[in-house]
Amino acid sequence: MTLADYLPIAVMLVLAAGFVAVSLIASRFFRPDRPTPEKLDPYECGIVPEVEPSQRFPVKFYLVAMLFVIFDVEIIFLFAWGAIWTELGWFGVAAVAIFTFFVLETLAYVWKRGALDWNVKRRARYIQPDVQEAA
Amino acid sequence: MTWEIDYLALAPELVIVVTLLVVLALDLFLTRPNKYWTATAAVAGTALAAIPLVILAVEGENVSMFEGSYVVDEFALVLKGLFVVSAYLVLLLSHHYIESERFYQGEYYFLLLASVLGSLVMASARDLIILFIGLELTTGPLFLLAGWRKGDAKSNEASVKYFILGVLSTAILLWGMSMLYGLTGEITFAGLATATAGLADEPAMIVAVLFVIVGFAFKISAAPFHFWAPDTYEGAPTPVTAYLSVNSKAAGFVAFLLVMYLALPELSEIWAPALWILAAASMTLGNLSALRQSNIVRLLAYSSIAQAGFMLVPFAAAAVAGTNIEEGFSATVIYLVIYALMNVGAFATVIAGANRTATGDIDGWAGLGKIDARLGVLIGIFFFSLAGIPPLAGWFAKFAMFRAVILAGGTATVVLAVIAAVNAVIALYYYARVIKAVWLDDAPAEVPARAETPPSVSLRLALLISAALTIVIGFFPAIATFVGDASRIIAAGG
Repeated sequence: MTLADYLPIAVMLVLAAGFVAVSLIASRFFRPDRPTPEKLDPYECGIVPEVEPSQRFPVKFYLVAMLFVIFDVEIIFLFAWGAIWTELGWFGVAAVAIFTFFVLETLAYVWKRGALDWNVKRRARYIQPDVQEAA
Repeated sequence: MTWEIDYLALAPELVIVVTLLVVLALDLFLTRPNKYWTATAAVAGTALAAIPLVILAVEGENVSMFEGSYVVDEFALVLKGLFVVSAYLVLLLSHHYIESERFYQGEYYFLLLASVLGSLVMASARDLIILFIGLELTTGPLFLLAGWRKGDAKSNEASVKYFILGVLSTAILLWGMSMLYGLTGEITFAGLATATAGLADEPAMIVAVLFVIVGFAFKISAAPFHFWAPDTYEGAPTPVTAYLSVNSKAAGFVAFLLVMYLALPELSEIWAPALWILAAASMTLGNLSALRQSNIVRLLAYSSIAQAGFMLVPFAAAAVAGTNIEEGFSATVIYLVIYALMNVGAFATVIAGANRTATGDIDGWAGLGKIDARLGVLIGIFFFSLAGIPPLAGWFAKFAMFRAVILAGGTATVVLAVIAAVNAVIALYYYARVIKAVWLDDAPAEVPARAETPPSVSLRLALLISAALTIVIGFFPAIATFVGDASRIIAAGG
């Protein structure tokens, strides 16, 4: 590989940027421009937002999103197994069973610790007050 | 495809996996007064993991699995042994500390064991992906553990600094690895070693190798990529600092050496000068900064940066000279093993000393030897050993280092040896300063009251084991030579 071999990549970068620029500018000239209040809303359907969303979010959203991502990503292993499970046979079944056990143990852990409780007051029961004060 | 799995060869890893699952389950069902069982389970599991290691070492067979990506040879066994022993010692240090400060306990041991598992995987990894997974498994839990003192601003700072720089270095490392793969189409070390032949002049290859080096240099906190280390070491709970400066550093070193020695031997003209610079800069910057430290943990942080430089010296020198690379490699492994054992001991004395004097200031330790003679003697043993004074283990590490450098020969090598020699003298000054404070300085007029809790049994055990190893290796360097010789039996896999 020499640097010249990277030329197609450079050309593609230019083409991609050019395509975006050209289509944006072209549509500016050709499209009809009739704004209505509904069109300018952040969401056209659903509940009308009453306050600016710039306030702080409760941290529990973060926790749930994090847990979702973790458990969601773990499913990827099952896809890989599902694609060749006939080749793997009982070995694969056993391996996936062990893997599922790991996932279930962490799920049980998260559950018992109260991380899935949306009501924070209920969750507080699981966290010993003296631990929170640890310095 | 083959599904042949040698479960005995994987047994150390499997034991750690089972242990960490047990710890997690125990933490879930135990009430607070009984949480110490999680610590007991963690310590017992780590000790159990040593049994299959011994069996494998006695059998002495090289096992290669997963199409050569995962190899258990004597090199892997030596380093797994080191990881298990030092993890055992760190767990002993943690027990009392974590319990007394009222931390979350179960998660602590779970995360620490996960990190140990990562380092075990890394010692056997013979392709870039498994190596990377091992490295991430080693460092990932440590981001959390560094911030374990949740209410403490310094601990939060430690965690955030370590996290941001850790992620940055991972990104750079991964970038370098992806370029290596892109240029050669290989991920196994054996494949890379053949595919990279003759590519040393390729500009993209130079960038790839340098990125990989920079990524690893962050992990082993070699100058000039060391800035996170002192702050992280100071803020993290002391047992975690011991783990960071011993296990996690050793794991980074193993990965670094494996990639350079096994995967990229053909490109040594690219990485050898870079390693030379890293070694010289780490020794000099680490030692000069350590001179000005007043806090014992920060002093050990800079000392560990400097020691990383010393560790790189034999390998870098041999690679620059292009001769006796095997000799340099084994000298680096010897240094790594000895450093790990004596540094765990040094941190054990720091925990005991801070417990006794209620301060981490070196000046606050004045006269400690007169108050608590046993602790004073132990501080003397570990700090003199770090300085390389015979008959403690540290001298043999330095001896092996200089021997490898002399065997390598060449001008650049001799210059590096001179830098190392000057630095060894500088290092003696600040290690000796701690010992001077402990033994020669007068105790403050108000002798601090006897600590509320005497050092726990587990802390005493950790001190005893590491002191015994430090002294025994010092008198019988044949043990370390054996480690060095064993580490030469390294299978490329593939």
